[in-house]
Amino acid sequence: MSQSPKRRAIAATLAIGVAAATALVTGLQSAQAAPAKGGTLYVITHQDQLDHADPQRIYTGRDIAFMESYVFRTLVMYKPVPGAAGTGLVPDLATNTGVATDNGKTWAFTLRPGTKYSDGSAIVCADVKYAISRTFATDVITGGPSYPMQYLDVPQDAKGNSTYAGPYKKTGQADYDKAVTCSPDNRTITFHLNVAKPDFNYAMSYPISSPVPAAKDTGDKMDLAPLSEGPYKVVSYKVKGEMDLVRNPNWSAATDMVRTNYPDKVILKFGVSEDVRDQIFLKDTQKTAINFDAMQLQNNISFWNSPASKTRGLNVFDPYTNYQAYNVSKGHLDCLDVRKALFFAYPYDAIIKLNGGSTLYGTPGDNVIKSNEGVDYAKTTSHINDKNFMSAGNPAYSKTLLATAKTSCPATYAKATSADQGITIDVSDTAAAKKVAAIVTPAMAAAGIVVKYNYIPSGSYYSTIQDITKQSDISGAGWGPDWANASTVIPPLFLKDGGFDLSQNWDDPAYPAFKALCDKANATLNRSAQAKLWQQAAEYAMAQYWVGEVAFTKQQLSWGSKVGGVDFWAPQGTFLFPSLYVKG
Amino acid sequence: MRRIVQSFEESKGMAMLKYVSRRIAISIIILVLISATVFIIFNYLPFDPARLSCGKHCTPEIIAGNRHRLGLDVNWWVQWWRFLEGIFAGRNYGEGAALIHCGAPAFGYSFTQHECVTTLLGQALPVTVSLAIGAFIMWLVLGVTLGVISARFRNTWIDRLSTVFVLVGTSLPTFISGLLLLLFIVLKFNLISPLDLGTWHSPLTDPWGWFSSYFWPWLSLALIYAATYTRFTRSNVIETSSEDFIRTARAKGVSERKVLWKHTLRPALAPILTIAGLDFAGLLGGAIITEQIFQLPGLGRLTLQAVLQDYDLPIIVATTTLAAAFVVIANLVVDLAYALLDPRIRIS
Amino acid sequence: MSNLLDVKGLNVTFPTVDGEVRASVDLNFELNRGETLAIVGESGSGKSVSSLAIMGLHNRAQTLISGEVILHGSKGSTELISASEETVRGLRGKEMAMIFQDPMSSLHPYYSIGAQISEAWAIHNDGSKRDGMKRAIQMLDLVEIPSAAKRAHEFPHQFSGGMRQRAMIAMALVNNPSLLIADEPTTALDVTVQAQVLQLLQNMQKEFNMGVILITHDLGVVAEFADRVNVMYAGKIVETAGVEDLYYRSMHPYTIGLLRSIPRVDQIDNHRLDAIKGAPPSLINLPIACSFAPRCEYSSLVPGGLCNQSQPELEQKEAEHFARCFLPAERIAEVRS
Repeated sequence: MSQSPKRRAIAATLAIGVAAATALVTGLQSAQAAPAKGGTLYVITHQDQLDHADPQRIYTGRDIAFMESYVFRTLVMYKPVPGAAGTGLVPDLATNTGVATDNGKTWAFTLRPGTKYSDGSAIVCADVKYAISRTFATDVITGGPSYPMQYLDVPQDAKGNSTYAGPYKKTGQADYDKAVTCSPDNRTITFHLNVAKPDFNYAMSYPISSPVPAAKDTGDKMDLAPLSEGPYKVVSYKVKGEMDLVRNPNWSAATDMVRTNYPDKVILKFGVSEDVRDQIFLKDTQKTAINFDAMQLQNNISFWNSPASKTRGLNVFDPYTNYQAYNVSKGHLDCLDVRKALFFAYPYDAIIKLNGGSTLYGTPGDNVIKSNEGVDYAKTTSHINDKNFMSAGNPAYSKTLLATAKTSCPATYAKATSADQGITIDVSDTAAAKKVAAIVTPAMAAAGIVVKYNYIPSGSYYSTIQDITKQSDISGAGWGPDWANASTVIPPLFLKDGGFDLSQNWDDPAYPAFKALCDKANATLNRSAQAKLWQQAAEYAMAQYWVGEVAFTKQQLSWGSKVGGVDFWAPQGTFLFPSLYVKG
Repeated sequence: MRRIVQSFEESKGMAMLKYVSRRIAISIIILVLISATVFIIFNYLPFDPARLSCGKHCTPEIIAGNRHRLGLDVNWWVQWWRFLEGIFAGRNYGEGAALIHCGAPAFGYSFTQHECVTTLLGQALPVTVSLAIGAFIMWLVLGVTLGVISARFRNTWIDRLSTVFVLVGTSLPTFISGLLLLLFIVLKFNLISPLDLGTWHSPLTDPWGWFSSYFWPWLSLALIYAATYTRFTRSNVIETSSEDFIRTARAKGVSERKVLWKHTLRPALAPILTIAGLDFAGLLGGAIITEQIFQLPGLGRLTLQAVLQDYDLPIIVATTTLAAAFVVIANLVVDLAYALLDPRIRIS
Repeated sequence: MSNLLDVKGLNVTFPTVDGEVRASVDLNFELNRGETLAIVGESGSGKSVSSLAIMGLHNRAQTLISGEVILHGSKGSTELISASEETVRGLRGKEMAMIFQDPMSSLHPYYSIGAQISEAWAIHNDGSKRDGMKRAIQMLDLVEIPSAAKRAHEFPHQFSGGMRQRAMIAMALVNNPSLLIADEPTTALDVTVQAQVLQLLQNMQKEFNMGVILITHDLGVVAEFADRVNVMYAGKIVETAGVEDLYYRSMHPYTIGLLRSIPRVDQIDNHRLDAIKGAPPSLINLPIACSFAPRCEYSSLVPGGLCNQSQPELEQKEAEHFARCFLPAERIAEVRS
């Protein structure tokens, strides 16, 4: 059940429009009182369990932020502050944010002295090395990020699989031991990469770098009983029940720049029915609780319409974009004019309205790099910035595009306009998706385009569309950066081996030039020069209409009236957990 | 003389024993076939749990490795054989530090819940049994009492009132009545804290906690069933009261009270008990909606999560087979109980 | 005034949405101890309804009953219609008992024969369960059920039809009642066992010195066992007489019709049985006329179409012989022959 965290649940919508402003924060008390110690903080979710709690398997944004704030420590961490500064790194278990040598092909981290596990034993380099090695055991440690396999200098076979099989099978252990080394004093870990990776240290902010001593590894079972180095330890974790955290006596604020231990206890309550959960926050019945989820649409609207409840809410742009991937491979949408015709006919206003309006749902976007992502974003010239764009849809312009396509690519034109062929859209089989379809179909018909739907059970949606033989012409998806660098957006979405290239664009004549541009950006150490290159790459990809209908989405947080220190933490789009406390 | 009587009794006992053991043998065969059916169906579904658990960096080899870990890389009959074997011999998964052992009787290991399925069943069963027993008692008492009263006072306002109850009860779906009960009574008047919903209180150590946490789920289930049972009971009682043997009882001078409670109810309730037994067994398989609404971590939710979210085959096989076992056992018990109740039916 | 039962002006009416069903109208008769009164008539003629009224087995809320039924029991006389439900219940099964047409459905399928008889005893007597069972076995013995002690523990479905009716008789007689109403006691039985059961009834009557009301549509049975006969038609008694008078000098065309419709052993030729033509009238809103007139072959013999205009009274035709017919006794005698 592990989807990439950065890939949002399922994109139900298509949108486009004006460039959005940066994080919009409403209803937040400006003057915060001094944090109080004590009390129990409840964290409420409809989910039956965390997707994963094993540090090397966890990969869902909010689970990462929660566990990293309370239980795990990593080599480096995001700064526990609101706003753009929150996406910057600070040292955590390491004494600095990593030392890159060899143009970013070698990275070293030295461990801070005095850090311990909750059982009192000291954290050593070998534990970090062992922890990272676990990510290679792809048949046990499933679901987690694969950065070590991608970037560490461990040989790969012709099919791109690592020759190292992880610490359980131990095949190819020597290769790994060469790629990751510990200093003789067991305090400095050095990573040898297969490619220059100027932002490799960001990957070490993920819990994959959270240490695990080999002797304490319990394989799959660690997912229910993870070790702790942070301010709290897990004393009980029951699926459909709760995860109880109490203070870890062996944690010391002196060695930790990120975390706090204000509440006596933190209880993550699972399996709360959606209606009950929403009532809790609508009526403020659990004053020391925060909502781990988003509310159901109708309840969310009520919450934000009521002056009494909306002071306990935060409405912000999240790190994600929703978009539709156009499959540009042969026999699908291998015609720019047809792709543009599809884009300009979309009824963006109606769909945003259906999803709660621009206040709660989000705004049309011009780029897969979101406008709140910092230096890598630049306004593009296509999509919502095209002079022919109309947010209600522009079927007349689509028709002129189709007229051109009739001569430039007759086969694709025929497919898009004939009743017995038509354009097929992959959608998750949900009621919400069907409502969207009911709006999109007539809007397309107005432009003379025939659309059909391929309804896929929601649980197997992503595994279906990622199978290039099963993907239809258009597939809805969502994406967010793994960290504040477009290297985690542009390559994954548009390069063949990026992992999430739903455009199947590698046979497109425009692809080789684009690939060269991305490779150059990836290897550029100068951050502002790199940002320029990403901006060029994004402009290029967007102008090709490899994706369309981008939406810059928003999210709403809600909490009880006795929770203090509430703020938004940008990296994973969550509460700023380290500042939360229970009011006395 | 005495010896003959004894041997007559013995042979009757033997016949009973033979009947029961034959039924048990047939039941076991049915359950084994049901488990096979689940494996076959799962084999042909378009879901691939191996793909589902594969991360972002997903190659065919990694998927194959996951399929092997999940035991899905062999034919369904081999999977099925391993399942049957595991029940008697236990099962092992993985190697090295990641080795997992599930002791017999093992129904497999859930890689989504990170537990042996037998353990998961052991955790969910007390919840579901608690829910089923309480609801069962509540609806039987409520339904039968109301049914008897409305039959006894038929065509009066009492009867009409109970007809309204029957109409409302049978037409309201559980997810509505349960939700209404939860949101507008339980939570509104703070009868249970929303954070305590679904918390397990053992009836042995905390009987009051157990009772109060299950009372509302019981009621929500019982209301629906009770409505049906009120209707059943009413019509059965009315039908039985027009039987000739009831007239005979009156002709003997039996009092009206005794006519009702002794002569009418026993034959009127016998068929109801049969239905009740099967309904109870159905509930033991998991009351999915009620468990979901009241957040009870029982078999119903275990199944639901496994089927809808995780495609977790070992759990699906185990809960399906268990639910079928409950129905099969209930059928046997009901047949035996009916024979005890109605002397016209004798096991042979 | 008799020494067991006086029925005076008994009316049983069922109110329905279509109107009142007058199931029995102005019934008058008496019964002595040791005497057998047969009530004869087609189904729907009111014979069962009136006997259930005597037993107080109608649902009081749904039935209108008027008139007097006086039972001269062993502990004094009681007027049953006006008596409380509780009083009547105390007499039922004790002073007056009843057996029914279908012993299979009339016995409770869930209780053993012994338990059912024992219950009938226990209601009206103080004693242990063991006493009740003892008494039940005694009664089963009395009604000639072989190995009664063992069979007392068996259930109705394990008994044959005749045996069941014997058990019913045993149950009815367990408290030594003075009045026994037998409602078609042999109709549901095989012809071969009918005679045995009737014989048993007769023996029991002698033994207990009961008054017996025998309800039947079988005039053959009547001839053999009854002392007196009430013939009922459409809720009314149309003829009442001693059994010999009735058979040899019937005074009502309906009775004559009935007698012609029984097969007779002395007419072994292929003589066709004469069934009465037509069907009994509906009991709702009966016209003021002779109820039998539409089916009566002889109504034309009555001058002035009187039969279709007014209701004949039950008038004495001979000594101890009454009939409800406008035709004078002599004319009827002519018709009969």
